Amino acid sequence: MENQTQITQLVQRAQEALQKAENLKELDTLRINLLGKKGELTGLLRGMGQLSPEERPAFGQMVNQAREKIESMMAGREKELKASELEARLVKEAIDVTLPTDLPRLGNPHPITQVLDSVVECFIGMGFQVVEGPEIELDKYNFELLNIPKNHPARDAQDTFYIDENIVLRTHTSPVQARVMAAQKPPIRVICPGRVFRADEVDATHSPVFHQIEGLVIDKDVTMADLRGTLGAFARQLYGEGITTRFRPSFFPFTEPSTEVDLTCFVCKGKGCRVCKGTGWIEVLGGGMVNPKVLSANGIDPKVYSGFAFGVGLERITLLRYGISDMRWLYEGDERFLRQFS
Amino acid sequence: MKTSLNWITSCAQAKCTPEEYQHKMIMSGTAVDDISPLFDFSGVVVGRVLTCEKHENSDHLHVCQVDVGKDSPLQIVCGAPNVKAGLLVPTAVVGAKLPEFTIKKGKIRGVESQGMLCSTTELMIPQEVYPSVGEAGLMILNEEYAPGTDLLLALGLDDHVVDFDILANRPDCLSVWGVARETAAVFKAPFDPQLGSVKEAGGDIRDYARVDVENSALCPRYQARVVKNIRLAPSPLWMRARLHAAGMRAINNIVDITNYVMLETGHPMHAFDLNQVKGRHIIVREAAPDETLTTLDGKKHRMQGGELLICDENGPTGLAGIMGGLESEITENTQEILFECAAFDRTLTRIVSRRLGIRTESSGRFEKGVNPATVQAAMDRACELINLLNAGDVVSGVIDLYPNPVSPMSLTCSVKRIAHRAGVDIKGEDMVDILHRLDFEASLNGDTLTVTPPIHRTDIEMEDDVCEEVLRLYGFEHIPETLLRGETTPGKDSPYRLMKRRYQRTLSALGFDEIFNFSFTSQKQLDNLGLPAEDARLSPIKIKNPLGEDTAVMRTTLAPDMLKTLAYNIAQRNEEARLYEFGTIYDAFTRTQEGLFAEKRALCLGAYGEKADFYQMRDAVLTMLEQARLRADIQKGGEAYHHPGRSARILVNGKAIALVGEVHPAAAERFNLTRRCFIAEVDFELLSELFESLDAVKALPKTPAVHRDLALVLAKEQELLPVLREIEKAGGRLLEEVRLFDVFEGEQVGQGKKSAAFSLKLRDPEKTLEEAEIIKVIEKVKKKLKDAFQAEIRS
Repeated sequence: MENQTQITQLVQRAQEALQKAENLKELDTLRINLLGKKGELTGLLRGMGQLSPEERPAFGQMVNQAREKIESMMAGREKELKASELEARLVKEAIDVTLPTDLPRLGNPHPITQVLDSVVECFIGMGFQVVEGPEIELDKYNFELLNIPKNHPARDAQDTFYIDENIVLRTHTSPVQARVMAAQKPPIRVICPGRVFRADEVDATHSPVFHQIEGLVIDKDVTMADLRGTLGAFARQLYGEGITTRFRPSFFPFTEPSTEVDLTCFVCKGKGCRVCKGTGWIEVLGGGMVNPKVLSANGIDPKVYSGFAFGVGLERITLLRYGISDMRWLYEGDERFLRQFS
Repeated sequence: MKTSLNWITSCAQAKCTPEEYQHKMIMSGTAVDDISPLFDFSGVVVGRVLTCEKHENSDHLHVCQVDVGKDSPLQIVCGAPNVKAGLLVPTAVVGAKLPEFTIKKGKIRGVESQGMLCSTTELMIPQEVYPSVGEAGLMILNEEYAPGTDLLLALGLDDHVVDFDILANRPDCLSVWGVARETAAVFKAPFDPQLGSVKEAGGDIRDYARVDVENSALCPRYQARVVKNIRLAPSPLWMRARLHAAGMRAINNIVDITNYVMLETGHPMHAFDLNQVKGRHIIVREAAPDETLTTLDGKKHRMQGGELLICDENGPTGLAGIMGGLESEITENTQEILFECAAFDRTLTRIVSRRLGIRTESSGRFEKGVNPATVQAAMDRACELINLLNAGDVVSGVIDLYPNPVSPMSLTCSVKRIAHRAGVDIKGEDMVDILHRLDFEASLNGDTLTVTPPIHRTDIEMEDDVCEEVLRLYGFEHIPETLLRGETTPGKDSPYRLMKRRYQRTLSALGFDEIFNFSFTSQKQLDNLGLPAEDARLSPIKIKNPLGEDTAVMRTTLAPDMLKTLAYNIAQRNEEARLYEFGTIYDAFTRTQEGLFAEKRALCLGAYGEKADFYQMRDAVLTMLEQARLRADIQKGGEAYHHPGRSARILVNGKAIALVGEVHPAAAERFNLTRRCFIAEVDFELLSELFESLDAVKALPKTPAVHRDLALVLAKEQELLPVLREIEKAGGRLLEEVRLFDVFEGEQVGQGKKSAAFSLKLRDPEKTLEEAEIIKVIEKVKKKLKDAFQAEIRS
C-alpha cells in the first residue's frame, strides 16, 4: 500500500511540476528527473527488489501505468508549450507590411516596339511571314521596280536622302516587296516592318526617321475584297470588335486601284471626338492591288497572279494609341516618358 | 488647289450642301481638304443712305437714315468721313456676323444706332476684288442694287472656297474644268463649261508674228494668237472674285485672263507685249552655257546650258513654262499682245525650276504634266474672254506647232476580270454607264468592254486603270470583306525579331527601358568618342543631302547617341536611367554583292544613377550570355571613351562579344555627362549566332551534394575570375559549382594582399561521395591554386 501511495504521489507531483514548466528546456529537465535513468520513477523500480516476488508483478504494472500517464501528460504539456512559443515568435516577428520601399523597376520595350509586336502577332496569326530588308537601299528597289522611274514626281514627294546616285535611304518599306518577289514564288504573304527615312525637318508631327509596316499578298485570284477583309480582321484584332474600315480612292504608283484606309475611331467608336476631329474615322493605312507593272518588273506574271499591298505608319498608330501629342517624345529617350509603357 | 465652288458648279451642277459635296468628292477619289465660305460674314445688306445729319454730340459722327428695303428706314450712327446721302453702302443690320464681331443695337453718344455701315476692311474684302474709296472709308457700291438685297448675293460673292488635294496621277484635275468633270461624274450631271466661239477681227496672224520651236521633244506643242488694239482695264468683279478665291491677285484684264484660263483649264498661259518681241519672232530653244536672262521678278539668271528658253531675235526673254521675261511684260503702253499656250517637258521644267529655285503656279503645273492635246481649248477660252471683256481684237488665225498630235487610245478589257479584281460584282452595263459619266467612250460586247478614255485623261493605260475608274465611282464602300483563300502559309516572325524579343524580356526584367535614336549622327559626335584617328568608325557613310550638320552621316556605333540620351536624362534631372537600344550600324568599308553597305544589328546599354555601377552593367551582359548558355571570359580594358580601370571586353570562345565600361571622365565632359555613366555595347549578330537553345534538360541527381569552403590569401591585384576558373578546372567532374562569396582586404590579411573565399559544391551523380574522395579533390584544388597564384590557403 505504501508503494502505491508513493506512486500516486509521484504522479501527482509530476502533474504539478509539468504545469509549472514554462518552456521546453524546463520540460526536458523534468523529463530527466522523472523518467531518466536516474529519475524518480526509475528509483521506484529499483526499490522493487525489496518486494516479495508475489508483489512484484502488480507493482511493476503500477509503475508502468504511472510512466505512461506521466509521458502522456508530458506530451500534452510539450504541445502546449510549443504552441505558445510559436505564438510568441510570430508576434515578435511581425513587421510593418505597409512600409514604403523602392520597388525593383521593370523596364519596358519602346512604345513603337510594343505596337509593332501586336501588329506582327496579328498578321502572323493570319499566316504572314515577317521579312526585313536593308535600310540603305538601291534606287532600283526603292523606286524603279515599284513603278517610280527616274524623274517621276512621286520621287519629290518622298523627299529622299541620297548616299550616291544609285543608293538611297529607303523612303518606305515597299522595296522589301520587290526583294520578296525576287526571292519567293507565290503564294506570298509577308509583312515587312522597318525603319524608313524622309527629308522632313523634326517637329511635332514629322521626323526624318520613322517606321512602317508593309504587307504583301500575291496569289491567284486575290481581290480588293480580300484586302478589305484582311485589314478589317487586323483592325478588329488590334482595336476590338465594332471597328470597321473605310476605303477612299487614292493613288500610289505601285498599286492600282489604290486606296486610303480609315478605321473607325477607336477612341469614340465612330461617334466623333477630338482624336478623329469629329469625323468618326482615323486615316491609318494606304494600299491597293499591286500594279501589274510592278508584278511584271519583278518577274511575276500578272495574267496568272494578282495581289494586294498595304503600308501602315507605325508612329501614327502609336501616337493615336497612347494619345501622344508630340512625335519627338518617341525619340528623346526621356526615362519619365518610357517608364509609363509598362 | 483652292478654287471657287460656284465656278465649278457653273460647269457641272451639284445640288447639295458644301459638306455633302466634300464628302462625295472624297469618297470618289478627289480629296477635299477643306471647304469654307469665300467671305466670312452674314447679315450684311445693300442700304441706301437717305439722310445724313451731323451727330449732336460729336464733331465727326453722322446720324443716317438708311433704307434697307423695310417699311421704315434704320437709324445708324456712322463715323466714316465719306458718308453722305444718296450712297449705296453695305449695311450690317442688328444680328449681322462680321469676321471680327457681331452687330448689336446700341447707343452711340446718346443716339440710338440700329446697325453699321461697313468698309471693305471690316468685311475683309480685298481692294483688288472691289476697289472702293480706300481702306479708311465706307465701301461705296458703284452699281445699282435694290436696298435690302444680301450684299454677297448682290455682288455675286456668295461663294465657297474648295481646297482640293489633287493626286499625282491626275494633273488634269489641277483645273476648274478637271474637278468640274469629276463633279459631273459623281453627281450625274452634264459637264458644260458654257463656252462661246471666238470672234476674230480679221487680219492674219502671220503678218503679226512668227514662232519657231527648235526641239519639239521638249516642247511638243506651241500655240500662239495675237490680240491687237489692247484696251487695258480692270477685269470684271466676277473674274476678280474667282481669282481671289484661288488665291491670286487681280491685276488687269489681260494678265487676269491668262491667270483665269490657267486656273480654269490647267494650261499656263503667257501674254507677251508683241512690240517688245524683237523681230516679232518667238524662238523656243535650249540655252547655251552661260547665257543670261532677267525674269519678270527682276532677277538675273545664268544658264548651265540645256534649259528651255523662250527667245526673240535679241536673245532669251523667258524661261519656258517657269517665268516670263521682264522686257516683254504687259504695261499700260501695250498695244498688241501674243498669247502663248504650250506644252513643255515636265522633267526639264522640274529640274530647271529646282535648280534656279523658281517655283510658280505655271512651273508647278508643267512639272505635273500639261496635256498638249487640250492646248487649243485653253487658247480658245482666252480669246473668247478677250471678246467678252472687250479687252482687244483677236487677229484671225492661229499659229499651232504640234508635229506629233496625241490621239486617243482604246483599250480592250474584260468585265469579269475588272469585277473580280475589284472584288465587287459590277455588271457590264453599270461599267459602261460609269465610264460614260467620266466622258469615256465605252461599249460592251459580251464580256468584252472596249474603252477609249477622253483626250484629257493621260493616266489611263491599262485594264487595271479602268477597274479603278469604275470602282471609285461605283463606290469603294461596296467592296465586301472576304478572307484570303487558296494555299495556306505558316505565319512566322523573322529570326532577328525573335532573338530581339527574347532579349527584350531579359532587359525589361533587369529594369532597362528601350530607346529609339535616329540612324544618323554627326561627325562631331563620333569625334567626341576620342577614338584613334585611323578607327573605321570615324569614317561614316555620308548623306549627300542631309537636313543639317547634326544628321549628316550614318552611325557607325550606337555609343554616341546612347551617351547623348543619358546626358538628356541628366539634364532633365531624372534621378536614374537604365536604357538600351537595338539599332543598325552602317559600315562604309564593307559592301554586299549588290553594292550596298554592310548593315549590322547592334545593341547598346547605358545607365547612370545611385544603383548604377560597372558591375550592374557588366552583369546585365553576362546575364544575356548566360541566357544564351555561353561561357564568358572577361579581359580588362576598353576603348578610348572608357575609364581604363573600369572597362572590360567580354569574350566568348576568344571572340569579343561585348564591351562594358564606365565612361572616361574626358569623354563624359565632351558629352555633357555630369554624372558617372556606364555603357555596354553588344555584338548582337555574334550573340544571335552563338546562341545555344535548350535541347534537352539534364536529369536531376539523386545523390546528396557536399559543400566545402576555401579561403585564400592572394596578391591584391590578382583578378579573381581566373582563380575561379582554375578551381573549376582542378575540381574536375566532381565539382559541380564554385561561387566566390567573400573578398576582403585589411591588416589581418597583410599589406598588398587580399582574402577571397570560395564555396565549392561537390557531387557524384552516381553515388554518395566518400570523405577520402572529397579530400582528394580539395587537395588538388589547393595545390593548383598555390602553384598558379602563389595562394596561401587559410582554410
